Amino acid sequence: MHDTLVWFAKWLEGTPWGLMTRESIWAYPFVQLIHFTGLSIWLGTNFALDLRLLGLGSRRATAAQEAQELFYWNWIGFAIVLTGGFMLFSGIATAFIGNIAFQWKLGMFVPLALIWHVVVQRKARVWGQTSDVPGIAKFAGLTEILLWICVVTAAVEIPNH
Amino acid sequence: MWEALEQTSWVKTLGSTGWMYSTVAVTHYLTMFWCIGSIAVVDLRVMGIAARRRSLRELAEQLFPWAWIGFAFALLSGFLMFATDAGDWAPSRGFHVKLTLIMLSAIFALIVQRGARKWAQDPEVPRAAKIVALISLLLWIVTILSASEIPALEGLG
Repeated sequence: MHDTLVWFAKWLEGTPWGLMTRESIWAYPFVQLIHFTGLSIWLGTNFALDLRLLGLGSRRATAAQEAQELFYWNWIGFAIVLTGGFMLFSGIATAFIGNIAFQWKLGMFVPLALIWHVVVQRKARVWGQTSDVPGIAKFAGLTEILLWICVVTAAVEIPNH
Repeated sequence: MWEALEQTSWVKTLGSTGWMYSTVAVTHYLTMFWCIGSIAVVDLRVMGIAARRRSLRELAEQLFPWAWIGFAFALLSGFLMFATDAGDWAPSRGFHVKLTLIMLSAIFALIVQRGARKWAQDPEVPRAAKIVALISLLLWIVTILSASEIPALEGLG
């Protein structure tokens, strides 16, 4: 398993986009821009739903409407995050897979937060029919926010390890 | 003056205590994404390509408070990060460009926020409003780019 991962990481580093991200001075900020722009849309739309589930802010739209109306841009945001993240990863893939903070981020927090998000987004259509949501929905919204904080924390720690 | 700020005892503690600095950095990234994402969704709605079934006025009233709370936290955490290395940041051209872009982006966000109330009354969002929203969106993207260019060009951050 580990050998396959190392082989894959080495292969990624040799791909044109891997080389570009690593070796071109001008390319790296643009790749980071893709990742950050996607993250803004992704987290902005995620938190809008989570905070509505928590009953915070304007309550004129229901959580069900929130989940539905922000659905497309939520996942467009995610696609942009993934594109930028994949390119950043390809640049120095072997260093990333050996980095403990990166392992926590991609191996633990991102899958967990992502699965949680999909569940919250689907269930919001049931929980959020009326203005007041059940306690479980509030718990789910709060947990999602905390999970994304874990993801960002792990990401910020990557250069420190 | 900036050197003096860098040397104050609380700034030195912040800069040399790993978990404190990380907490500030996490706050900065997270609230910055939250702020820009919330504004971007309203911009996209004004442009007619997001949440079209939702009233523009309602969406703006829901998302702008989050955007400004995020903005305030990003500003505060950003100042703390700046303080730990103020002597190097203060004269940086790239940093001046970034601050200018943040100011411009915030001004355009305010224009969109105020405009949303008016534009929502028209049957169709005016063309000029769509252009303002597009500029707002592009300004945030250029702001992120400027932030990413500072370490690449000046080795700061």
